[in-house]
Amino acid sequence: MNLDPRNFQQAAREALNDPLLRPALGRMKTHFGAGRAAAVARYGDFEALREAGKAIRDYAVTHLDELLTQFERSVVARGGTVHWARDAAEARDLILGILRDAGAKTVTKGKSMVTEEIALNPFLEANGIVPVETDLGEYIVQLRHEPPSHIIAPAFHLSKEQVAETFFASHTDLDPKRSLVERNALVQEARAVLRRSFESADAGITGANFLSAKEGAAVIVTNEGNGDLTRLLPKMHIVVTGIEKVVADMNDVAVLLRLLPRSATGQPISTYVSVMAGRRGADESDGPQAFHVVLVDNGRSKLIGTEAQDVLRCIRCSACINHCPIYGAIGGHAYGATYMGPIGAALNPGVMGVENAAHHANASTFCGRCAEVCPVKIPLPRIMRHWRAVEHSKGLAPRSITAGLGVWAFAAKRPGLYRLGASVMAWFLRMMGRRGTVHALPVMQGWFAVRDFPVPQGRTFQAQWKARRQNAAERIGLEGGNSRSRQQR
Amino acid sequence: MSGGREAILQSIRSRRLVQSPKPQPYSAPKTEGDLAEAFAQRLSFWQTDVRMLDSMADVPAAVADVLRGKNMAQRVHIAPDSALALDLPGIEVLREPPGQNDAAVTEVPFAIAETGTLAYPAGKGRPASWHFRPVLEIAVLRASDVVPELEDVLKRLGGVLPSTLNLVSGPSRTGDIEQTMELGAHGPKSLAVLVVKS
Repeated sequence: MNLDPRNFQQAAREALNDPLLRPALGRMKTHFGAGRAAAVARYGDFEALREAGKAIRDYAVTHLDELLTQFERSVVARGGTVHWARDAAEARDLILGILRDAGAKTVTKGKSMVTEEIALNPFLEANGIVPVETDLGEYIVQLRHEPPSHIIAPAFHLSKEQVAETFFASHTDLDPKRSLVERNALVQEARAVLRRSFESADAGITGANFLSAKEGAAVIVTNEGNGDLTRLLPKMHIVVTGIEKVVADMNDVAVLLRLLPRSATGQPISTYVSVMAGRRGADESDGPQAFHVVLVDNGRSKLIGTEAQDVLRCIRCSACINHCPIYGAIGGHAYGATYMGPIGAALNPGVMGVENAAHHANASTFCGRCAEVCPVKIPLPRIMRHWRAVEHSKGLAPRSITAGLGVWAFAAKRPGLYRLGASVMAWFLRMMGRRGTVHALPVMQGWFAVRDFPVPQGRTFQAQWKARRQNAAERIGLEGGNSRSRQQR
Repeated sequence: MSGGREAILQSIRSRRLVQSPKPQPYSAPKTEGDLAEAFAQRLSFWQTDVRMLDSMADVPAAVADVLRGKNMAQRVHIAPDSALALDLPGIEVLREPPGQNDAAVTEVPFAIAETGTLAYPAGKGRPASWHFRPVLEIAVLRASDVVPELEDVLKRLGGVLPSTLNLVSGPSRTGDIEQTMELGAHGPKSLAVLVVKS
């Protein structure tokens, strides 16, 4: 299990050779890709919806201070408390403090990528508090001591047989001869086991898909209903989320709700959407008696006003991941980070540092599918290119790459030299090629280890271009002559 | 930890920033025709038993029939102070919160035609957790309470949210094991909606 983004290359190589990962990754296109395409086709003008979503998120990202302070006032007016955490350590301490003040010993958790980001669970365990993940996928990977391999499908990499093994190993108080062959048997077992956790938990922690500034509400989308039992059954509800999740009001949330499930799972709406505004009302018989929101910065605010600002528009739908050929080949664990695929490649170098996560930005074919399917039109390849440029300018890229690029740049600025070099290169490749393909060269051995290069066909681009321009000039000359002769008649 | 607040706001404000304009109001594609019919059709697609009833007098028989169809005892949980004034002959009514194998009958204040969604603002007689505790939820809705879209629900609430607003579109489900959908993950395995026309 790779937990360090700097080990990306080695982990990716291992993932490519992991036979257990193939069936899971094979489901990516058939389940997520096709579902999104059908939902988008049925909607009507999805492009206009994407534009609206982009505008809403752009407004929010460029008015974060106003919206966050408004959100805070609204939460306080409803009897809740807002906490601000600069980084992961501060967030963990704040959450532990809130739980200790309430005397909490066990905590149920709804799905939250930010609590993965700040590594909350091991910290709580080390401090004597038992966190229980309740989203089925999160619960499975928690039992296996693994991180999620996908932001909306945490157990994406596992087969039902692996889940059954995990349940037999973990639920030792149940009949060891019971059948866990069917998926539904697994779902029902988790339902029964986790219901006990919901009923006995001292506090519930959820993430938020959106925060609504005007109403002071946190909004989550789920299909299981676990987020709601997490909020509603214990005495205290703590929302942990990133500062960028805030939007102006619930009408903005209503627009984004049309984008999120369609882009994520291909559903027009998730089974449950829960708008959670503060603690229970005076005339209500259930709901939490205390409500806290922990706003986590952890590197987000420093992206505002930079080349990477657009990445803050992200609504974490996972469409970019589901359409990424790199993720489709290696899965999520190889990234060694909470956010994987194109969104990870655009976000991680910014928040974790280019020196730690540049590999993610380099792991792209620049096919552009991620930007095409992004519901809020984040130019993901452009941001990855930005991180590549930063890596290069800081001298962090391997010397072989910077040296090679240096040679190329020197030649590219000198047309005569470039022409000569290109002709020599084309000749050389033709010499090295076998049946139209180059399999290896004395240089770039790493590149050729997993790739072939086609033998150049015909003349270089520049030579062809020159010939075309000459031909064109001759044709224009001819036509000009004809028109003159017509006028004379 | 008050330092965190000022530091984060300061970090945001110190950025070189081009402020984006207030977004234009968005208008979603409108639902054509009868709202209750559109609602029923869309929610039925999500494994929900939607029944159109002529009047409130038909509700008791429908509740009994739904329970029979699920092979469940003629016993339901209805929240204390519920606005549902139901006389359910032959059905035992319990007032405590339903357990994970029980059936609950709930009142739906609004529903949304665009997505086939039930909208439950929590309040007196409408405990939010009851939409997640039981194995079967039978929801009673008046056809006239179906509105076109979520924005209409927000308008009807007058801009003031309850502590919890739950939007429900079908029974609980999960795709977390091999991306294959299974019903009854944590919330109800079955959802029945009785739409009363008058």
